[in-house]
Amino acid sequence: MNILIQQYRLKKIERLKLILFLSILAVALLILLKVDNMLLSFLLAFVLKYTLAPLINYAERKNIDRSHATLLVFVLFFSIIGALIYWALPYISVQLKAFHAELPRYIEGTRSLIFDIESRVEEVINTSVEFNLSAQAESLMVSWTKSLFEDLPNFLSKSLTTILLAPFFAYFLLKDSQSISKKLLDLVPNSFFELALSLQYQINEQMGQFIRARLLEAFIVGMLVWVGLSIIGFPFSHLLALFAALTNLIPYIGPIIGAIPALIIAMINGAGLLPVIGIYAFAQLIDMLFIIPLVVAKIVNLHPITVVVSIIIGAQLLGIVGMLVSIPAASMIKVTAQNVYHHLINFRA
Amino acid sequence: MINYLWENLFKRNEDHVSKVLSNNILFKDLNSSELKTVANFLHIRHYRPAELVFRQNEIGVGMYIILKGRIDILIESNATTVEEDTGDFITRLEEGDLMGELSLIEENSRRTASARAMNEASLIGFFQPDLKNLLQSHPEIGARILLRLSQVLGRRLSETATKITELKKQIQSIKA
Repeated sequence: MNILIQQYRLKKIERLKLILFLSILAVALLILLKVDNMLLSFLLAFVLKYTLAPLINYAERKNIDRSHATLLVFVLFFSIIGALIYWALPYISVQLKAFHAELPRYIEGTRSLIFDIESRVEEVINTSVEFNLSAQAESLMVSWTKSLFEDLPNFLSKSLTTILLAPFFAYFLLKDSQSISKKLLDLVPNSFFELALSLQYQINEQMGQFIRARLLEAFIVGMLVWVGLSIIGFPFSHLLALFAALTNLIPYIGPIIGAIPALIIAMINGAGLLPVIGIYAFAQLIDMLFIIPLVVAKIVNLHPITVVVSIIIGAQLLGIVGMLVSIPAASMIKVTAQNVYHHLINFRA
Repeated sequence: MINYLWENLFKRNEDHVSKVLSNNILFKDLNSSELKTVANFLHIRHYRPAELVFRQNEIGVGMYIILKGRIDILIESNATTVEEDTGDFITRLEEGDLMGELSLIEENSRRTASARAMNEASLIGFFQPDLKNLLQSHPEIGARILLRLSQVLGRRLSETATKITELKKQIQSIKA
């Protein structure tokens, strides 16, 4: 009887502890969502953390202690990134200026291309209804390019805090990863401790694999497009490769979006379409045959509908950055939900 | 004040953890600096009297070493449950003893018995995720722990095999 009373009291204490732990998590989530730049800073910090963690583990294996290993990897990583930006920025800015100058010609060219197609369709189906797609496409393109040339620089200058905070958070997330996760887990009630530890490990592993695989995939596709376009002397090769790499982060529709600007430029300039299609198709073929089976296949995959819905939500909330962040965020939610469900079903007999 | 607290509370606790770890079979091969590294991967959990550490048939992800207090190991059958205090008593573990070591290497292993704190108890938890992280960053230390763990499990296997042989002999003699 005594044991039963003790068990009842213990369950009550455990329940209170669980409520306290969940409240702390809810408050942390609220701060992330409500404080300006905080969510984006943390998302970028986690991307940096997952990208650099294997290098820090490697340095630790070479008997460098974690603090020094983190500092060393950070200095090396940002030196390389800095050198790359220093090397590529003049080329990109020259191409951006040239692209900006030629933009009206491309918009007009695209409008007349769509107008041509529209007239042919109207002839074939012989309808009196006017689609006026060319005008709609023109206004869409004007608004997209406006957001690229005006909103993005504004967004970047406004997001200076985010850009500075993300590496700062990432540094401490990497240096103190073990003690941070231990302190968080200390708050978990005993009866949920093993479940929470296991969940945290699995989510961490899967997100790490997902982010590293996607970044590697984007980098390889971007490099292939850049090399291909440079070989055939196609204009704006740096810009188009960067765009292809970034859009490749979006599954299914990303590679198609990434190829559209190059195809439009090729059509308007009267250059051959085939070499351009060949380059983008070759990059995707390499991706499908080698990169996906080797590094991406094991990670979480999202249904095409989930991808499109996530991108729309991301674009509504954060614009272009939201589109890029939406897929890792949706994957994180999916991995967490899957693991929680699996554990709720299987953890307890 | 902070120094006093550090020296008398936290430092003493750290020393006690190091002492218990250095006496434990799994960590016997490690020197003091390696033990300090391993301590970063361990979890200290505190239990109240009658509180369950783990329950029979639950998925277990690691092992515990008793830092302070006593733990009862109990078996539940169809008619008995640990929560109602009707589980069958198997053994009582004391400071320095370890339990649940099989879960440290077996995927989705289920606990074969329940463990319940008899008094205020503190346990050192070492779990599969911690071992995997340790193997990634300090593979030499992880390998030495795994070697000791396989020796422990090998000895248990050999003891179980001997017991089965003895039981078979007893059954045969009863049949005869």
